[in-house]
Order: sequence, then C-alpha cells, then structure tokens
Amino acid sequence: MSESVKVGDKLPETVIGPFDAPSLARYAEVSGDANPLHLDDAVSAAIGLAAPPVHGMKLLAAFEPMLRAWRGDLIIASLAGKFVQPILRGETVTLSGRVLRATENEVLVRLVAYGAARAPGIIGEATLRPKAAI
Amino acid sequence: MPLEPPVALGPFRMCVDPARAAAYARETGGDAASVPLAYPAIWLAEPSLFSVVRDLCGELDVVPVHESQSFFYDAPLVAGESYDLSVTMSREETPPRLTLVATVATPGGTPCARIEAQLRLVPRAGFGSLS
Repeated sequence: MSESVKVGDKLPETVIGPFDAPSLARYAEVSGDANPLHLDDAVSAAIGLAAPPVHGMKLLAAFEPMLRAWRGDLIIASLAGKFVQPILRGETVTLSGRVLRATENEVLVRLVAYGAARAPGIIGEATLRPKAAI
Repeated sequence: MPLEPPVALGPFRMCVDPARAAAYARETGGDAASVPLAYPAIWLAEPSLFSVVRDLCGELDVVPVHESQSFFYDAPLVAGESYDLSVTMSREETPPRLTLVATVATPGGTPCARIEAQLRLVPRAGFGSLS
C-alpha cells in the first residue's frame, strides 16, 4: 500500500441526508425497487413506523463514495451490509468506518450507518485492495 | 436448513446502462465516474427475475424484506457492456428467508462478480395494503 493503513484507523465520518419523499421516489425509479413501504406513509404506519424507511440499498451504496474519498488509491473488492434497523425518511444519516484488518494486500473495514437514534441501521464490511490486485 | 433444492434462474443477459448507472451514482452520493458497486441491485429488481420472487411470495402470502446484501468483485463492471447474470434461489424455513446468489460474467464466461441478497419472508398480515 502506498500509505500505511493500521488496524483501528477510523475513516472520516460522512453525514448524508436527511432524505425526503422525492429523494426516495427518485431512488425507487432508478433502482426499480418500488416497494411501497418506502414510498407510502400509510404502509409504513401499518407496521408501526413513524415514516417510510429509506431504502437500505440507497444507504449501503453510499459507503462507496466515502471509501473512495478515504483511499482513492485502493480498489473496493467487496461491499456487504446487513439492514438491522430501519432509518426513516427525514433522518440525518452518519456513515462510519473502522479498519478491522490490514495487510499488504488487503484492508477490511467495518462499516456502520447510524440514524437519528445513533443505533446502527446498517452493519457492513468492505474489502479494499491495491489496484493491481483486481 | 434449506426447504427444497435451490432453483436456478437464468442466465439473464443484462447491460450496464450508462445513463442509469450515472443516475444510480447520483442518487447514492457518487460522482458517476465509474459504475457503482451496488449497480447490480438494479438487475435483481428486474421484472424478468424479481417476478419469480414476487410469485413465490404471493403463494406463501408473505412480503420479502431486504435483510442483507453483498457484492464481491473480481473485475469492475463497465458502462455500456453486457453481462450474463445467473441466479440461484434457495428458501429456508427457520427463519423464513429467501437467498439469491447471483454470478455476473462476461458473455465470454469470464467471472466478474458474485452478489448475494437475503430476503426475510414476513407474513403479509400487518403489512396493510403492501403488495
């Protein structure tokens, strides 16, 4: 790696959102995920949510620009996440990352997306490698 | 524990639409300089593929809730290029869940990526008018 990465290094936090209804509608249109749970207040209210949840994929995908801004000299070889708790429309979202493993050929980063309650909404991982490795 | 043997779907010939890739990047905070890593999620939502999931959920009277998603790349996707998407769908009973594992390869057969999506199957009762 051109610059050393150490276990425990924290990525600069990225704050995104809050996302409004038109933003969720645009994501639904471009992604093809038109699940009304994300778009219809009545549907989200029926399962006890105060507002429609933001698409988990919209949030998971937002880690990519954060990772590229952190280490643009590395290739992101994998991105994965579990959607553990809904993050609702109107909430500001904080994306964070911390290095779990670092070798000459691979960096493993733990990713967490927090909503307004500061409880994890997404817990994920990304693997980054030198550009020649992929 | 799988309920039944996995079902193979496809291969589906998919294209990375440059305009759609750029729009997807914009909606997820990217700069559209490259195809977003999560772009193949669009392919999993394509009616030709997702209709199989929707029909199964209809039979079971459940709603699929996205539980997890992963993308593993051997090579980056290229805007404007076509790829073959081969999917294996398996169902578990405890907890009720569908797992879609997709491989992405060039038309010549060179592997590019592996994608996995887990969908929790939630009883439709309680989801109101969700369809």
